Amino acid sequence: MVNLLYTEVLKLKRSKMFMLSILGSAVAPLMVAAAMFVQMQTKGIMAQMDILLLNTSIYAVLVIAVPLYGVITAYLYNREYAEDTLKNLLTIPVPRISLLASKWLLLFGWIMLLTVVTWGMAILSGAIGQFAGFSLSLLLQSLGQYMVAGVLLFLLSTPIVFITLVLKNFVPTIIVTIMITLINVMLATNEHRGLYPWTAALGIANGTLESTYPLIVSYVIIAVTAIAGLIATVVYFKRVDIH
Amino acid sequence: MSVVIKTTNLTKIYGEQKSVDHLNMTVKQGQIYGFLGRNGAGKTTTIRMLLGLIKPTHGEIEIFGENLFTNQKEILRRIGSMVEVPGFYENLTARENLMINAKIIGVHKKNAIDETLEIVGLHNETKKLVGKYSLGMKQRLGIARALLHYPELLILDEPTNGLDPIGIKEMRRLIKDLANERNITIVISSHILSEIEQLVDHMGIIHQGKLLEEVSFDQLRKRNRKYLEFQVSDDNKATMLLENQLEINDYEVHDEGHIRVYSHLGQQGQINRLFVQNDIDVSKIMMSEDRLEDYFTKLVGGGTIG
Ligand SMILES: Nc1ncnc2c1ncn2[C@@H]1O[C@H](COP(=O)(O)OP(=O)(O)OP(=O)(O)O)[C@@H](O)[C@H]1O
Ligand SMILES: [Mg+2]
Repeated sequence: MVNLLYTEVLKLKRSKMFMLSILGSAVAPLMVAAAMFVQMQTKGIMAQMDILLLNTSIYAVLVIAVPLYGVITAYLYNREYAEDTLKNLLTIPVPRISLLASKWLLLFGWIMLLTVVTWGMAILSGAIGQFAGFSLSLLLQSLGQYMVAGVLLFLLSTPIVFITLVLKNFVPTIIVTIMITLINVMLATNEHRGLYPWTAALGIANGTLESTYPLIVSYVIIAVTAIAGLIATVVYFKRVDIH
Repeated sequence: MSVVIKTTNLTKIYGEQKSVDHLNMTVKQGQIYGFLGRNGAGKTTTIRMLLGLIKPTHGEIEIFGENLFTNQKEILRRIGSMVEVPGFYENLTARENLMINAKIIGVHKKNAIDETLEIVGLHNETKKLVGKYSLGMKQRLGIARALLHYPELLILDEPTNGLDPIGIKEMRRLIKDLANERNITIVISSHILSEIEQLVDHMGIIHQGKLLEEVSFDQLRKRNRKYLEFQVSDDNKATMLLENQLEINDYEVHDEGHIRVYSHLGQQGQINRLFVQNDIDVSKIMMSEDRLEDYFTKLVGGGTIG
């Protein structure tokens, strides 16, 4: 598995996707910080660090993350079809499940890295803009929340993987992630947002869900979505003919 | 000679179409086995089944004497393959692409990658990204990748696809050398007889998913060799003259007075003169057609091949 993971990393060499994803993950903190900075200058409202971190996480998780991680997921899984390298890998042979697993591991590392980049950029822009309310405990607490959201979003990648493998194309995957994002935006402050896996993920991470439903319900919904996606992916990929 | 590949009633059905139809194929150790068939005959489908990429609708596959479906991992380790046009990571160099295979397989020999690149003549192209490779270069890199782990069995699906005539010749040379030096069993598919007839020693002919015939090339050549046929009045005397005067021993007498000479093609004038000068009546001289191509055409029907 270590060797397999190493080859997954090697495949990214000179690939623009990596740099682009870093840029993508820096968008939310920079925009939120800039907006707050402008407000501070024009209306004289003191910009607070905790608000910056909270708002960044809302934009990053609800708006940016699903399409961004969707593109990464589609890229990782679809390129073996697009570049027709699957027939080589599977005849070396790499067991089909190992191939899925090594890509999942890489995706996990990638998502966590981007999570840290988003968090780091928020801190950095807050520091440059001289926002108020810096404290070590705030930073660590928000890092924890960002990480929880990252892990949950990673778990929710399984349906995206499934769609990519079945349709063998970038485009439908992107469309689906955009649809998920639109629903995210519509539900962002809705009292039922705990029932929708992606808004529930943010709510769990930040502890901002309303008590409409017990928290366990949100956990179960996320778990069921992730596991259903995982099972569908494994069952499909284990038996599919490679043309 | 042990059997390397054996399929029993191998069948693949897509919807209504039987792409491969009860195919019984036997490849023995050390053979260079040509798998010949027209476009759409079922060559690639068969090869993908041999490599576990697609599942047969029914039928069995044994490779190295073991069932493919229960021992897939161990069997595939001993095979090198190239199916249709090989795919690579285009953002990587040839060496990096091979490195991926070497890492996964666990090729520990230090210079294995450089060695295989040298075999296929790509050792001077290592700086270029594979995305910038020509079709022929990719094809050769595909062969290198298939050879990296010293396979005992090499399965190549139309390796000359997209190559120019010189490239085709080089590919043939390369495969022949490999067979000689590494003593591996090779299965090579093609839809052009002339492309593999100088290369293979056994041949399976597939048409509409069915294996029509499986023959040794020696047999086939004997059965279908080109010849000159003379109809003469005295075949005893004529054959004596052939042996003594022209040192021709490769001939056969058919019926009465029909002599088939398998060598000295194109020298019918000289032979005729010899007969006439020795008072033998020659009532007919005939040159056979290219029988091998004929034979293939007859077997699979239709006009042009491919
Ligand atoms: N995925 C598929 N779905 C439906 N039919 C298929 C599929 N793959 C192959 N076929 C059909 O199976 C038949 C055999 O195809 P195959 O690719 O094995 O032929 P081939 O002998 O390799 O031909 P070529 O010389 O053109 O490469 C063709 O009629 C083809 O249309
Ligand atoms: Mg083919």
